[in-house]
Amino acid sequence: MTDSLLLIALVVCAVLSVMAADLLISVLGLAAASALLSLVIFRMAAPLAAVFELSVCAGLISALFVSVTGLTQPSRRLEVREYLKKKLARFWFLPLLAAAAGIIIFLSSTYLPTHMAAPSAEDAREVLWQSRRSDIVGQVLVLLAGVFGISVLLKEKT
Amino acid sequence: MMNPAAVRLFPGVVAAAAVLAIVGLYCMFASRNLLRVLIGFEILVKGVTLFLVLAGYASGRSGLGQALVITLIVVEVAVIAVAVGIVLALHRHHRSIDTSTVEHLKG
Repeated sequence: MTDSLLLIALVVCAVLSVMAADLLISVLGLAAASALLSLVIFRMAAPLAAVFELSVCAGLISALFVSVTGLTQPSRRLEVREYLKKKLARFWFLPLLAAAAGIIIFLSSTYLPTHMAAPSAEDAREVLWQSRRSDIVGQVLVLLAGVFGISVLLKEKT
Repeated sequence: MMNPAAVRLFPGVVAAAAVLAIVGLYCMFASRNLLRVLIGFEILVKGVTLFLVLAGYASGRSGLGQALVITLIVVEVAVIAVAVGIVLALHRHHRSIDTSTVEHLKG
């Protein structure tokens, strides 16, 4: 029951962040969706991933989005609402498609494969540092590339 | 055998992950505001994250699922940080973050 409520709230927050006319409400909806996702992940026995999701996605990325929203001063609410109305008219079938896909997948996934293994007490740190060591190198390289990219993009011309 | 708790969660989580992915794609395709495109990307990645965690939980390899999610989050942060930098640079040049103002790269 709790899991179902959390999942419904997660989807509602995601839809709210897409449909909201005000960009700030969109960003707050996204932050709420991240927080709810971290709760869902935590309940699925993945505490390390939940902590990452909560601190990085709900915290850092939301703060980034809020600051960019403030810096770029987006269009006025009425203009955005008009634009969204126009766009929704063009893509009217996509929300229906999302709902249909959700229902079909929900109904069809009751036939589950039964050959999967039972849960084990596999530690994420062990996996990350031993069997997927190359991922760590990749993460460091990606972060370095990100830092380098930002420093090049935001460099002041002299 | 599959984890009994995962059997109970499976349909709902798969449906939620699929809906999140479709909502994210919808936002990316329907919006012309670059920040909204990034928000759509974030929602799409949340669907993928949910699915990865479920896969790890259901198969009993929760550690591997978590390791992949952490890698995904790191990549996501780097992509978002660079994209935000691009948005700010575009805003500095065009005074707008509308994709229609950035058409001079069209081939």
